[in-house]
Amino acid sequence: MASTACFIIVSRNDIPIYEAEVGSAVKKEDAAHQHQFILHAALDIVQDLAWTTSAMFLKAVDRFNDLVVSVYVTAGHILHIFKLFYTLTFLLFSQRGQSHKSTYKRSSFFVSLTAHIIHTRLMLLHDSRNDDGIKSFFQEVHELYIKVYYCILSTVLHLDAYLILLNPLYLPGSRITSSHFDTKVRALARKYL
Amino acid sequence: MMQDIAASLLMEFEKWVLRAESNGTILKTPLDSQASLSSEEVIKAKKRRLGRAQKTIGDYCLLAGSPVDANAHYSTALELARLTGDYFWYAGALEGSVCALLTDRMGQKDPVLEEEVKYRYNNVILHYRKSFIQDNAQRVSTLSFELEATLKLARFLCRRELAKEVAELLMTAADGAKSLIDASDRLILYVEIARLFGTLGYERKAAFFSREVAQLYLQQENSLAAISAMQVLAMTTKAYRVQSRATSSKSLSFSNEIGSSHADGWKMHPQSVVSLFESQWSTLQMVVLREILLSALRAGDPLAAWSAAARLLRSYYPLITPTGQSGLASALSNSAERLPSGTRCADPALPFIRLHSFPLHRAQMDIVKRDPGREEWWVGSAPSGPFIYTPFSKGESTDDSKQELTWIVGEPVQVLVELANPCGFDLRVDSIYLSVHSGNFDAFPISVSLAPNSAKVITLSGIPTSVGPVTIPGCTVHCFGVITEHIFREVDSLLLGATQGLVLSDPFRCCGSAKLRNISVPNISVVPPLPLLVSHVVGGDGAAILYEGEIRDVWISLANAGSVPVEQAHISLSGKNQDSVISVAYETLKSALPLKPGAEVTLPVTLKAWQLGLVYPDNATSKSVSGSTGRVSKDGSNPMLVIHYAGPLASPGETPTNESVVPPGRRLVVPLHVCVLQGLSFVKARLLSMEIPAHISENLPKPVYVENSSTEEVVAPECKADSLVKIDPYRGSWGLRLLELEMSNPTDVVFEISVSVQLETSKNEDSLTCIDHDAAEFGYPKTRIDRDYSARVLIPLEHFKLPILDGSFFVKDSQADEALSTRSSSFSEKNTKAELNASIKNLISRIKVRWQSGRNSSGELNIKDAIQAALQTSAMDILLPDPLTFGFRLAKNVTKHAIQLDSPKGSILAHDMTPMEVLVRNNTKEMIKMSLSITCRDVAGENCIEGNKATVLWAGVLSGISVEVPPLQEIKHSFSLYFMVPGEYTLVAAAVIDDTNDILRARAKTDSPDEPIFCRGSPFHVRVLGTV
Repeated sequence: MASTACFIIVSRNDIPIYEAEVGSAVKKEDAAHQHQFILHAALDIVQDLAWTTSAMFLKAVDRFNDLVVSVYVTAGHILHIFKLFYTLTFLLFSQRGQSHKSTYKRSSFFVSLTAHIIHTRLMLLHDSRNDDGIKSFFQEVHELYIKVYYCILSTVLHLDAYLILLNPLYLPGSRITSSHFDTKVRALARKYL
Repeated sequence: MMQDIAASLLMEFEKWVLRAESNGTILKTPLDSQASLSSEEVIKAKKRRLGRAQKTIGDYCLLAGSPVDANAHYSTALELARLTGDYFWYAGALEGSVCALLTDRMGQKDPVLEEEVKYRYNNVILHYRKSFIQDNAQRVSTLSFELEATLKLARFLCRRELAKEVAELLMTAADGAKSLIDASDRLILYVEIARLFGTLGYERKAAFFSREVAQLYLQQENSLAAISAMQVLAMTTKAYRVQSRATSSKSLSFSNEIGSSHADGWKMHPQSVVSLFESQWSTLQMVVLREILLSALRAGDPLAAWSAAARLLRSYYPLITPTGQSGLASALSNSAERLPSGTRCADPALPFIRLHSFPLHRAQMDIVKRDPGREEWWVGSAPSGPFIYTPFSKGESTDDSKQELTWIVGEPVQVLVELANPCGFDLRVDSIYLSVHSGNFDAFPISVSLAPNSAKVITLSGIPTSVGPVTIPGCTVHCFGVITEHIFREVDSLLLGATQGLVLSDPFRCCGSAKLRNISVPNISVVPPLPLLVSHVVGGDGAAILYEGEIRDVWISLANAGSVPVEQAHISLSGKNQDSVISVAYETLKSALPLKPGAEVTLPVTLKAWQLGLVYPDNATSKSVSGSTGRVSKDGSNPMLVIHYAGPLASPGETPTNESVVPPGRRLVVPLHVCVLQGLSFVKARLLSMEIPAHISENLPKPVYVENSSTEEVVAPECKADSLVKIDPYRGSWGLRLLELEMSNPTDVVFEISVSVQLETSKNEDSLTCIDHDAAEFGYPKTRIDRDYSARVLIPLEHFKLPILDGSFFVKDSQADEALSTRSSSFSEKNTKAELNASIKNLISRIKVRWQSGRNSSGELNIKDAIQAALQTSAMDILLPDPLTFGFRLAKNVTKHAIQLDSPKGSILAHDMTPMEVLVRNNTKEMIKMSLSITCRDVAGENCIEGNKATVLWAGVLSGISVEVPPLQEIKHSFSLYFMVPGEYTLVAAAVIDDTNDILRARAKTDSPDEPIFCRGSPFHVRVLGTV
C-alpha cells in the first residue's frame, strides 16, 4: 500500500466529484490540500495529453516533489448506453399501454440526460511506482463508477422515471455522495496500491 | 568600421591576457576544488587556464557584438575544456556558443537550428550535471547553473506545439528545487517556472507554482514579503476561479453574457449554467482565499483582507464551521475598522440578495395608456386593472421579460427583495438600498438585521427623479463596515447552479425560504409626473352597513395628490351589483375640472343596498331566529367606481414635437364598501281577490259602450277609498284584488312599511288625478313590523284586463294543435304577449313599498320578484277576460214607476212585473253560438224560478235560449220577472257554448273537444222591496 495516495474523480467541467485520501500515511490537512493542488495543476497536462493518445490510462503525466500523478481518462462511453436505455424505456412504456403524453415526457428527459457524463477523469496522486497496480485500480474504479450509475438508473427506471430528476447523482457534474461507492473505492485502493 | 575597432581592441586585450599569463596566475573559480593544489593539479589547472581564457574571450566577443569571433573562441575553449575534462567550463563555453549561434542568426526560424540548439543545450545541462563535485556541494553547487540552463532551454522552446517537452523540462527544473539550499533561489526558480507555464498557457500549472512562490514569501516573516505573497496569490485567483470582481475583467463579460441571456427570456440552457461553475474546486479555492486573507493581514492591507474574507464567507459558508464563520465575520469587521469609512469593495459579502417582486401599482394608482385619438382614451389599453389574472395575458406568459413597468417622477416606488443569512451569526446590515446606475432614481436606505440562518423579505423604496429608463442591477449594501454592490443576476445564477447541483448550497433554501421562481426584471421606464387622485369616503372608509333595499347617499371625496392638474376624468362602474348605484354625480366631477394639485372635490353617490342572495333561504330563516345580524356581504360583491383621469396632453415646457408621446392617464378604483344586512324578508306573496256582486240597476255599472274600456274606471263618488274597488268591466261585478305580502323582520329594529301605488292617470279625466294623490295618502296606513315578528302587507292592485280574448295567449296550445297560426296572427301574438308582459311590468313598477327602520334609515323593498312570482301563476286569470260577459239591467221603459223616490237605487218592488235585460258580450274574435239560461236564486240559494216552491214568476224565455253573438259584439235578451216575496235575490246568467274552438278550450283549461264549455256570469243582486 502506498504511503501517499490521493484519488480524485474530476467531472467534465473540471469539478471534483469525488475525492479520497487513500494512502496509508497519517493524514494532514495541509498535505491533503497540497495533493489537490498538484492534481488540479496536472489537469493542464492531462488536457493536452489526452488528445495525443488513445490510451485511457496515462501513467505519470505529472510529478511534483516525488509525487506522481497518474490519470485514467474515460471518454464518451456512457453516451450510447443512455441512448439505448432511452429506446428501451420508450418501447417498454408504449407496450404497457401508457398514455403517449407521459411517454413523450420521459423520452424528452432522457434525451437531455444523454449529453452528460463524458470525459470524466480519474486521477491518482501517488508516490509508488506500481504502474500495474494503479492501472488495475483505475479499471476497477471505472467499472464501479459506471455500475453505480447503471444500478441506480436501472432500479429507478423500473420504479419511476421521474425519480431520476430527484437523484443528486444524476445532475451533471454533481458530487458522488454514495457511501457505498466510497467504501468500494477504499477497498480497491487497499488491494491494488 | 565598428568591427575593425572591436577587432583591434580585442587583439590588444588578448595580447594583454596572454602577457599576464607569464606571471603564473591560476584562473580559479569557486567551483573548482579549493583544496591546495597538488603539482599534478597545478599542471592540469594550467592547461585548463587556456581553455577558460578562450571562453572568457569568447564572452567578451559576444559582449562586444561579434558573434562570429565569439564562436571561434568558444570552439577553441570547447576543444581545450574537453581535453582537460573541465566539464563546467565546457558547458559554459557550449552555452556561449549557442548564444553566439543564435545571435548570429537572429530572427531566423530554422528547425535545423532549433534542433541544434536543443541538442547543444541538452549537452550543456548534461555537463553541468557532470561537473557536480561532491566536496563543495555544501558551499556552492553547479545545480543552479543546470537549472538555469534548463529554464533557458525551456524558454527557448516555449511554444504550444512543444508543450510536452517544455513541461518535461520545467518538471525537471522543479524537481531540482528541492536540492536548492537557498530559499530565495527556490523562489526565483518557481517564479520562473510559473512564468513559463503561464506563457505556455498552462494556467493551473502557473497558478500552482505561483502559490508555491507565495508560500515561500510567507515563510519570510516580514510585511514586504507578505505583500509580495499577496500579489502573487492575487495572480492565481483567475486560475482558481476566486477572482475579486475588482480585478477581473472577465467577470464583466461574464455578467454581460448573463445579461444578454436575461434579455432572451432567462431560460438559460443547463449547459451554459454548468459552464459558469466550471473548475469550481472548492477545497483549493478555500485554501487560496484563506492564504490571501492571511497574507493580506500580514501585509497590512485591510481592503484585500476584507475582500478575501468576503469571498470566502460568501462562497464557502457551507464548508466553514460556525466558529470559522464567526471568525471570518470578525476578520471582516476588524479589517473594516482600519479602513476609512465609506470604503467600497467590489466583492460582496453577506447577505445574499435576490429580487422578490415588483409590487404592482395599487389599484388606486394604476396607469393606463392614453390613446389621444379617442374620446374614451382608456378603452383598449392593456387590461391590467385590479385583477391579476386576465385570460388575455395568460397565453403570453412566455414573454414575461417584456413586461413593462412604469414609474412616475416624484412618486415613491417599492421593490421587494429577499435577504438571506445562511451563516451562524447575527448579521447586521447597516444600510441597504437599490443600486441604480441610470442616475434618475433616489433610493432610500434602510437597515436590517438578520438572525442566524434566516431569510427575510424587505421592501426597498425610492423615488424616480427624472424621465428615462431605469435599470436595477442590484442593491448597494453597507455591511461589515464596507459598501458593496450585490448584483441580482449573480445570485440568480448561483441559485440556478444550486438546482443543478453545481453549487454547494442554496442560501435561501437552507434558510427555509420557499423556492421562488425566477423573477424577470421588467423594463422600467420613468414617465413625467401624472396627477394622482386619492379618494376617501366622507365619514370614514369603513363599509356602510345597509339593510337590503336601503337607500343612502355616500360622499366620496377625491383629492389630487399629484403635482399635475387633472384635466380629464370619467366615471364608470364595475364589479358586481352595479345597479345598486342609483346615481353618481358625474356633473360635480366634470364641473370641478381641471382639478388643481391639492384641490378636492366631493361626489355624492346614491346607493341602494342590493338584495342578499336567496341561495340559502333556510339558513336565512333559521338565522332570523337568533336575531341575526344578517349575512355580511363579501368583499367581492361591492360595486366599484372606476375613475379614469389624466393630466394635460403635453406637459408644460415641453416642445410640441413630442406630441406623439402622450403622458399616460390613470385609473382610480374606488370600491364602494357596502355591507348589506338582511332586512325584511319575504315569506310569501300571493294574490287575493274579492268579488262583490253588483246590484242590478237601470244603468249597468259597466261601461260597455266606452271604447277604451280596459282603462276606464267607474268611481263611486261617495267614497274615495273605494277608488280601487272597481267594477270589473268584463265580469260586471265589483272586484278587488289584493297582493298580500307576508314579511318577517329578522333584524333587531322596527320597520315601518308604507305602500304607495301610483294610480294610472287618464288624461281625459282630471278629477281622477286628484283622487290618485289622495288615495296614495289616504289608503295605506303604515304597517309596523316589530323585530322578530312577521306581518302581512296588503297591496291593492288595480284591475286591468285585456279587452279581447285571443289565441295569442295560448301560443303553446295553438302550436300543439297546429291550428290557426297564420303569419298575421303570430304578429299579433307577439304583440299581445309583449303587451301582457309590459302590463305586468307596468303594474309592478307602480307599486312602491317603502320602509323606514328604527335606525333612522329608509329604503325600498324589492318586491318585483315577489309580485312577479305571485302574478305569474294567476296572470291568465287576472289579465284575460272571460270569453263571455254577462250583465243584467232593468229595462229602461219601466224604470219610472218602478223606482220609488225614497227607495235605494236599483231596488225593485215586489208584486210587480219587472222587465229586465240580460246582456251578453262576446269577448273573442269569433262568433259564438250558445244556449243561454238565466236563473234566479233567493237568499238561501235555492232556485226560485223552477220547482215547487217557485216564488218568482217570469215572462219570456229563461233557459235554452239559442243565441249567436258576433265577435266583439253584444246581444240583448229581454225577459220579465215577477217577485212575489220581497227580499234579496240573485240573478245569474250562464251559457253553454256549442261550437267550441281552441281558444275557448284553452281558456277553460280543458282538452277534450267534446266537453261542452260552460260559462257562468257573475251574480247580480236584486233587492225586492215590499211587504210580506
